[in-house]
Order: sequence, then structure tokens, then C-alpha cells
Amino acid sequence: MDMSTVEHAMLTPSATSAPASGTKVTARACNVYYGEKHALKDVSVDIPERSITAFIGPSGCGKSTFLRCINRMNDTIASCRVTGKIEIDGQDIYDPALDVVQLRARVGMVFQKPNPFPKSIYENVAYGPRIHGIAKSKSDLDEVVISSLEKAGLLKEVKDRLNDSGTGLSGGQQQRLCIARAIAVSPEVILMDEPCSALDPIATAKVEELMDELKANYTIIIVTHSMQQAARVSQRTAFFHLGNLVEVGDTRQIFTNPKEQRTQDYITGRFG
Amino acid sequence: MSGIYFTTMAVLVLAGFYLSSRRAVGVSREASAGSLHSLPVYHGLYTAALVFVPMLLVFAVGAPLLDRIANSAALAAFPSSLATDELHRGATLRDVYNLAANQYSGAPSLELQNAAETLKSTLSLGRWTIFGLGVALGLAGFALGFTSIDKQFRARNRFERFVLIVLFACATVAILTTVGIVFSVLYETIRFFFDPSLKGRPTVTDFLFGTEWNPQAALRADQGDIKTAFGFVPLLTGTLLITLIAILVAGPLGLFSAIYLSEYATPRIRAFAKPILEILAGIPTVVLGFFAALTVAPIIRGWGHHVGLDIASESALAAGVVMGMMIIPFISSLSDDVINAVPQSLRDGAYALGATKSETIRNVILPAALPGIVSAFMLAISRAIGETMIVVMAAGLAANLTFNPLDAVTTITVQIKTILVGDQEFDSAKTLAAFALGFVLFFVTLVLNVIALAIVRRYREQYD
Repeated sequence: MDMSTVEHAMLTPSATSAPASGTKVTARACNVYYGEKHALKDVSVDIPERSITAFIGPSGCGKSTFLRCINRMNDTIASCRVTGKIEIDGQDIYDPALDVVQLRARVGMVFQKPNPFPKSIYENVAYGPRIHGIAKSKSDLDEVVISSLEKAGLLKEVKDRLNDSGTGLSGGQQQRLCIARAIAVSPEVILMDEPCSALDPIATAKVEELMDELKANYTIIIVTHSMQQAARVSQRTAFFHLGNLVEVGDTRQIFTNPKEQRTQDYITGRFG
Repeated sequence: MSGIYFTTMAVLVLAGFYLSSRRAVGVSREASAGSLHSLPVYHGLYTAALVFVPMLLVFAVGAPLLDRIANSAALAAFPSSLATDELHRGATLRDVYNLAANQYSGAPSLELQNAAETLKSTLSLGRWTIFGLGVALGLAGFALGFTSIDKQFRARNRFERFVLIVLFACATVAILTTVGIVFSVLYETIRFFFDPSLKGRPTVTDFLFGTEWNPQAALRADQGDIKTAFGFVPLLTGTLLITLIAILVAGPLGLFSAIYLSEYATPRIRAFAKPILEILAGIPTVVLGFFAALTVAPIIRGWGHHVGLDIASESALAAGVVMGMMIIPFISSLSDDVINAVPQSLRDGAYALGATKSETIRNVILPAALPGIVSAFMLAISRAIGETMIVVMAAGLAANLTFNPLDAVTTITVQIKTILVGDQEFDSAKTLAAFALGFVLFFVTLVLNVIALAIVRRYREQYD
């Protein structure tokens, strides 16, 4: 399929064409309301698997709201209402028959502020596998924990103090611990909500490097305020503004040759 | 007299404040270089403090001192044998004061008249001394504050230090009160155990390990040969039994209602249920006491009857259950607050891993809130141990050494109350036993608090 047709299909809310091959997440005519406030308007987008998609846009543009739709974290907000359709591998995640607990095991999330549990490093990572019964034995669990820490690039720094509290780590280490915690339940999609906004440049570089390695096995969606970060790490970029998805495309194209004037204005720093 | 003193003080303080801040404004307008270091209001406050503190101290120290001096001056007119007889001395002193205030009925003796005269003159001289000294020091403070006003003078920093001292003094009062209470109880306790003039006092071992409590046996001095018993153990077991029942009732109920209110209830239910729960804390314990005695105890008795158990009409169970009701609000309200204080980000983290609500609560929220929950329990336990009225009404006075919740038991506080109600002589072992009980009670709660603190330190999961 010609790339420009795909992009056109993604931009048009009414598009019903089949998603491109290798598409992991599909949203169609997705709307989100917080009480009276219409926070996300008619968003339709396809997100390819095993790659990094970045959501950019000014504060309050709906990018985090959309991200939280993908693992239904918005369910925890009483006033929030979602319409439209979001599918993962062709399965409607808002289907009443679907267990949200199982969905969240498939779609992991890393938050803006590192939020390790006030438990040991080991227990932080072991928590997910425990509640989902992933590990059959203690040695299985040990293995999951070690390999998750390894994949998150944290093992070398913490292997001698797995029983120390997770909250005692530095900010960057805490964030990588949260990534390890998410990886431990072997999700297919990892959502990252501004994962580096509380980190210094060195810790940020480590997390970005890690994301680059993880994209071989996981579909990663990242919300970021830093356009440099989006340009550095992502293969595809979606620009949101005032609750609308303005433009989505290859990252290179969005940053060098945007089709929409608003995208152009935003990435050149004229607003936001 | 004290009215005049305090009026003068108020006038001087206000004048000091007003004049100093006025002068500071004036100084700031002077032509010389630089502006005022401190705002005029601080110069005013500084002077006011310099007037206020010495004047207050002179009065606070001087007034009680004057009373003592005047009393001994008045009594000097009487034979010295009076000094040893406390009762007689008090009566004479009252006569002297009455005569001095022209309220003495009957013909006063010459001695009494002399004493009244001495008293009057001493008091008036002393009051004028206090007044003169206070005003002089106040004026000195005023002068010091007023003359030190200057562009460089750091009135603001000095006043800050004064505030610091005031705050420190307030904190010290609370600490000294605690220390004072401990020592006064300790003093009587030591008398109880070691005063050789006390009849029927027990040894420390008899008290701590004795299994029979019967301090009422010897009511009068001439019954001294009747053996009284000060065995503390039945009271301790009674107290612990009732407290344990109360915690078994209030712990789950309070904690679960806190979890429901903070995690599951909609805002509307919460806004409605929480105040009602807190009303429970406001019910006087004497009301809860007759609820226990008239409602709960018969119900429990009825149940027991059905299953073939013979339950005393006053039982530890009834008292413990109602006491549990009483402390539910402490546990639920405080736990609710600490659960709410656990950051939302921790909940999000657990939900995002696919944890269910109850898994999140059990594994993440409760461990994080544990220190607060433990202190809520400790407060509740302290209340339960210290509670008297419910036990008096529902559990009785019989000091049975038993762990059977269906029996009548009694607690430490109830015995203290029973011992001290009515006219008592403070030189009998029975009365002093109350202080020993009070001291041990204090010690028990202290130990419980230390244990709880250790538990919290050991298991706390600290979030930032």
C-alpha cells in the first residue's frame, strides 16, 4: 500500500479501510468527555507494532487522555466517559465482556513521575508476575525479576541490593525500575506518559536508549513535551491540538515537512 | 489592686508600641543615608515586649511570694506551737483574713486583732512594692526599647527571637506538665510501697504478682487486723481482656469502614457517612455505659442462654463490645485520613499493572498507610485502657482473675475510681493504692506505645 494513502486514511475520522499490516492499536472516532468537558474529539489513528509512536502537542491537548484510553486508566476517573472504538489486535478493548485487569496486563504503563511502590526493588518487579500468576515457582519469579531488571538496564546498578527499598533509588533509576516492573508482566504495548519529564539529561538519555532497545519486542507509545525527544526516539509522531488529532505520520516527515500549518507552527515554536 | 496593675501594664505596652513605631517612622525620614533596617511596626513590638515581659514576671513571681510573707507575718503574733498543727493554723489564718476584711463575727481576741493589722500592713506594703517594681522595670524596658531605635538597629531580628522564646516556653509547659504528673503520681506510689507509717501496705512483689484484689476489706483503723489484699494481677487481666475484646470488635469494623469510605464509597455516600461515624465519637461514655448494661448485656445473655451458656449479667464481653463501638470512630476516621494521604500515583502504578482494586488496597495502599493505621490503633487502645464509665456500668466491680469473657471482671481505672470516690484519708494504704494503680497504668500504656513505635519502624514502607 502506498504510504500516503495510509496516512490519508489515518487522518480521516470516517476512514473504515482495514489497518495497515502490523498494526497493533487501532482507534476509530474516539471521543473522551470529563463531565461536560470534551477532552478528545473524534480521534482515529493506527499504531504500528514493534515501533515507537510519539504523541506531541501543547499542554491540555488531549494526548495523555488518549494514551490513558488505551489501557483504560480513565476508568478510575469517575466523571470520565469514552465513546468510539479502540482495538488491540482487532479486539475491542471497551467490550463489556473484556476484563480490564487482563487488558492492563497486556498494556503496561509508565508514568510521568516515577512511582515505585514503597517496597523492595525485588518486590516492585515481582508484584505484577505475582498477581497474574505468571511465575510458577520462586526460581521462576527470580528469573522474571532478574531478566526484567536486565532488560530495563538496571540490573548492574541494583543486583547487590535487591532487598533495598525502591524509593531509595535515584529518580532515573526509579523510572527504569518502573519500566522493569511494567516489562515483568510481558505486556505487548507499553504506554509512557512523559517518562522523562522528571529526570535529568543523563537519566533521560538512558531511558531513551532503553526505549530504543525495547522497541524490538514491544509496541511503545510515548507522550512527550519535548519535540527533540520525539524526534530522537520515535518512528511515528502524532500531533494533537485542542483535543483534535491534527496530523500523524513518519517522524521525519512531521518534523521536516508537515502537511498542516498548525503542526508547522507548533514544531517551529510559534505556539505551545 | 491587680486591676490597677494590669491597666497600667496595658497602657505602658500600648504606649511603648505606639510611640516607638512613631519614632521609628520619624527616624526613617531623617536625612542621613540608608533606610530603616526594620519596619516601624517591629520597633513598636520590640518595645512593647520589653515592657510586657518584666511587668508580667514581677507580678507572677511577686504575688504568690507576697502571700507567703504576709501569712507568716500574721502568724508571728501567735504562739509558735501553732506552726506544727496544720489544721489549727489554717483555721486561725482564715479568722485573720476575715477580720482583716471586716467579716469576722464575734469579739476578736487581742492577738487576732494584732495579726489582722500586721496582715493588712504587710499586704499593702507588698502590693505597693510590686506595683512600684513592676512599673519601674516596665519604664526601664520602655526607655531601652525607645532609645535603641536607630536605622541600623535590628528590631525585627530581636522580636523574632522573642517570638521563638515564647513558642519554646509554650512547648515547655506541656512537657513540664507531663513530668509533673508523673512525679506526683510517682511520689504517692513510693509512699504506698515504702512509707513505714502506713498500715497494711503491700510489698512491691505482693502488689505486682498478687492474684487477689480486695482493698475494701479494712475500712476503719480499728479493723486493721482484717487482711487487705492489693494483688494487681486480676485488674491487669481484666483490663487487658476488655481492651482485647474492644480491639477485636473495633479493629476490623473501623479499618474496613475506613477502606470502604476512602476507596469504594462515592463522594455522596462519603459526605454523608463520615460525619455520622464521627458523631459516634461524641456520644458520652456514660450513655454508652447504659447502652451496654441495658441493651447489649441482656442480648448477649439471651444468646448465651440459647446455646446453654450461663453468662453473668455483667460480663466482660458486653463491656468490651460496647467499648469497641466507642473506639470505632478513632480507628475509622484516622485510618481513612492516612489512606487518603497515600498518593494517587501508587494506585495508578498498581492498576496499570493489572491489579484489581482489592489487590491494590491489600498490597500497596495498606502497607504504605501502615504507620498511620498503627497509630490510629494505638490511640484507640489507649482510649480503651483509660475508659472507666462503660466498665463500671457493664462489667462490674468484681476483681475476678479470669480470661473468660463471659465473667464479670474489673479494670484498673474502675478500681481507681472506686477507691477515690467519697471522703478519703490520704494516709491509708487503700487510698494510696489508687496512685500505684495509676502509675502502673501509665507504665503499661507507655510500654504499648514503645512497642507500636518499634513495629512501625520495622515495617514502615516509606513513600515520599
